[in-house]
Amino acid sequence: MSEKSEQIIEHLFRTEYGKLVSILTHFFGTSYIQLAEDIVQDTLIAALNHWSVDGIPENPTGWLVQVAKRKVLNELKRKKIILKHHNAGNVPEYSDSDIDAVFLENEIEDSQLRMIFTCCHPSLNTESQVALTLKTLCGFGVKEVANALLTSESTINKRLYRAKKTIRETNLPFTIPQGKELETRLNTVILTLYLLFNEGYNSSSSDSIIKKELCLEALRLAKLLAEHFEENGELCALISLMCFHIARFEGRLDDRGAIILFEDQDRSLWNKELISKGMQYLKMSMKSTSLSSYHIEASIAGQHCMADSFENTNWLNIYDQYVLLKSVKPNPIIDLNLAIIQSKIDGLKTSLEMLNKLSQKEMLNDYYLLPATQGIFNMKLENYSEAINFLETALSLNPSETESEFLEKKIRECKKLAPG
Amino acid sequence: MQEFLLILKGDGMNHLSPNELQQILADYNAWASELGDRYITGQKLEENGALLTGKEDPIITDGPFLEPKEIIAGFFLIEAKDQDEANSIASSSPHLGLYSIEVRPIDYPKMK
Repeated sequence: MSEKSEQIIEHLFRTEYGKLVSILTHFFGTSYIQLAEDIVQDTLIAALNHWSVDGIPENPTGWLVQVAKRKVLNELKRKKIILKHHNAGNVPEYSDSDIDAVFLENEIEDSQLRMIFTCCHPSLNTESQVALTLKTLCGFGVKEVANALLTSESTINKRLYRAKKTIRETNLPFTIPQGKELETRLNTVILTLYLLFNEGYNSSSSDSIIKKELCLEALRLAKLLAEHFEENGELCALISLMCFHIARFEGRLDDRGAIILFEDQDRSLWNKELISKGMQYLKMSMKSTSLSSYHIEASIAGQHCMADSFENTNWLNIYDQYVLLKSVKPNPIIDLNLAIIQSKIDGLKTSLEMLNKLSQKEMLNDYYLLPATQGIFNMKLENYSEAINFLETALSLNPSETESEFLEKKIRECKKLAPG
Repeated sequence: MQEFLLILKGDGMNHLSPNELQQILADYNAWASELGDRYITGQKLEENGALLTGKEDPIITDGPFLEPKEIIAGFFLIEAKDQDEANSIASSSPHLGLYSIEVRPIDYPKMK
């Protein structure tokens, strides 16, 4: 038994899983994603068994690569798989150096990029894209993917099974598209990463650790992509947006995991390094000639990050940007935001009138944040009984556990403050 | 002191996520270092192999040959004062829960 008790870096298994699955899929072809995953899982289990007896090796990543290579060779021997990129018929012989080649450092990155484009292929639906990205590239287990996406393990298993089946049946190439196709495909990839990030950022899951990890994974993949497509303005804007949001992560919940309203957050908890990274990417994004919704969203988030207090925020600028965002990407949530910002410009009463008008439209009927906002604003105007009505409506629209706790707390406060 | 074989049965690890596997590694190392000298050896078994049932019967190869929960996944050899202590060592193992563990004393000749 080794006396050494070195720790290995956090999430080493998970990160290496994503890398190795990409490399092996590159080697075997997209029809064999499952085989690649099985081999990598076996490799990790082997690592667990050896490292727990002999101690953790000096170069854990190298160890995993060696074992994965050996398992690939065994697999080739055992099943004599005819690789797709070779002439069918002859069973190709592979020397160790052929296999070494796919594990070279620059190949690893190339494989991961190919994997991103494969997971985000337009022949897969958005739900499958997100699930497959988390499972293969981010090394999440099925249970973890299910938790992150607030659904059951069997749903995720079905999605993954179907996605892999589609990939097999349509014979998707494991490539990065070129030329004009690259541009459209890159848009899909950026959108998938945006959605992946939103799953983490807006998810009502009560598990705040998994939410943050989801956001960090989306950022990691976006940055990997940016190393090769740095001149893509939308991608830079997306990274900027992610940095600004993640920077504020620590301020969103208190020690007990309860929600802190944006206006009450301790801004000193915001991560300054990430904010300046966000600014850097925002600047880079401005080089592109087109203006996307990512640009505007990043710029709004940046505006918030730059303000030293809630009161000193440049609300007029933010209002204008939301108007712009509405013209690029119309959606009722933006109307809701515009109405809320109105409270900072023309006061709570004007804002409430706009909110009341919005509540008559059907689009936002099930969205708990609308009555929740109406409740909070009425509370500020000391209309406690109206406030309670709105907050109770919000509560009836199935918000998450933390959100419910927040609403219940506010209802209790209103009851205390109400006259009589 | 007596030696005990801890036989792990089941296919416990195949469905674990990379993060969970890494956690088990950490738990296991803590467990093994706590055992110190009482830990003698341990190995995981591969899932394939052969099953021989009799001289006349065909050899069954390429397992698994049994129900997944009956598959022997690996073993440990440990030292313990008696069955009770061996049981409690096995029950403190991070493998329990993933596998079932059979705790069997090695039958060495004993002095009367």
